[in-house]
Amino acid sequence: MKLNFLKAIVLAATVALAACSTVPTTTPTLDEARADFVAANNNPQVATYAPMEFKQAGEALDRANQAAAKRGSLDTIDRLAYVAKQRIATAQEVAKSKAAEAEVANASRQRDRVQLEARTAEADRARRDASAAQAQAQDAQAQAAAAQQQAAQQADRASRLEALLVELHAQKTDRGMVVTIGDVLFATDRAELNANGMATVRKLAEIMMQNPDRTVMVEGFTDSTGSAAHNKDLSERRAASVAQALASLGVPRERIGMRGYGEAFPVASNDTASNRQLNRRVEIVLSNEGATIPPRAAQR
Amino acid sequence: MDTKSMNLLMRVGAAAAVLSLAACASPEKTPATAAVAVSHNAVENAVSAGAPELAPAEINAARDKMMRANQALAARDYKTARELAVQAQADAKLAQSKANSAKATAAADALNEDLRVLRQEVDRANSDQH
Repeated sequence: MKLNFLKAIVLAATVALAACSTVPTTTPTLDEARADFVAANNNPQVATYAPMEFKQAGEALDRANQAAAKRGSLDTIDRLAYVAKQRIATAQEVAKSKAAEAEVANASRQRDRVQLEARTAEADRARRDASAAQAQAQDAQAQAAAAQQQAAQQADRASRLEALLVELHAQKTDRGMVVTIGDVLFATDRAELNANGMATVRKLAEIMMQNPDRTVMVEGFTDSTGSAAHNKDLSERRAASVAQALASLGVPRERIGMRGYGEAFPVASNDTASNRQLNRRVEIVLSNEGATIPPRAAQR
Repeated sequence: MDTKSMNLLMRVGAAAAVLSLAACASPEKTPATAAVAVSHNAVENAVSAGAPELAPAEINAARDKMMRANQALAARDYKTARELAVQAQADAKLAQSKANSAKATAAADALNEDLRVLRQEVDRANSDQH
């Protein structure tokens, strides 16, 4: 009985102590609100974009904390904590919304910039393409003009060549055009060309100058009168004389070949004076353009 | 009774009527009514911001508390009415700000996607010409 009484006293004291303990009152909702508040406080967007909402949320939380400190009813604490919690969430949402709006503004600016860059690049491209096309057109035009000029020059040269060859009574052969300088253009039995001979050579020189791709082979011939050695010598000297005359008129020596054949390759029988005169001659073979002159076929 | 005494009697009667009316009105009635009105506005704003689609839980909580606040008001439980109205307002504001942030976030996402596609197109256009 006595022991039971003692037990009861101890129990009562414990209860009294528990009542006096300073463990602060709280509720799960208040705990949540406090945690939410810390999270919002750590979110820089909230400070930047929702300072007013956050301040109101802080005031609501203060009221809930005060109620808890004053040991208000759990109901009251919960109610105030709930409002604080909703306001903190509101501040977070407002911050999120304003941040998104700022992002929209920023993205719009970037889009404008990218569009502008794209348009600029397109314009640059178009300009480059246009100037390239223009350059190409000018190039083509210049090429056409040059080709036309070249064609005209060629035609001019060809017609001039033809006219000169006609004047020189040139004959077309397998080896090229052949101009014959007859005996009458040389001094008798000598190698020097007379005035008419020089005139013929001048025309040939002109052809050579205008047709740099052509070469000549100067070939001397005689009739069968006199010794073979004399005739060979005379034919060589006459050929050399013509070659020298061409060179003196500006035709490069490397384009002039020469040879004396003496009485070989007669163009007529040596039985009459006039036929012998035909045989005393210098033949100048003008090569075809860019071609070499094939050697004379073996004696017939 | 002359006119003067009649006038006095009427004045006393009117004063008594005013006094009795004042005695009947609770001092908590006016703030509670005002709080409910403010909450009502907050709910309407949230609804027009698109809260029913974008923050249904919050707006439903706000509407539920508004209804209960109106019931408390009708039952002359002004303290409860005011408390519920304050909570309904907090719910409605959260609903509204949630709806707004959802819309703004969607707009930002859409614009960023546009920007990404645009950049891709520009890059392609730039690399195509060569």
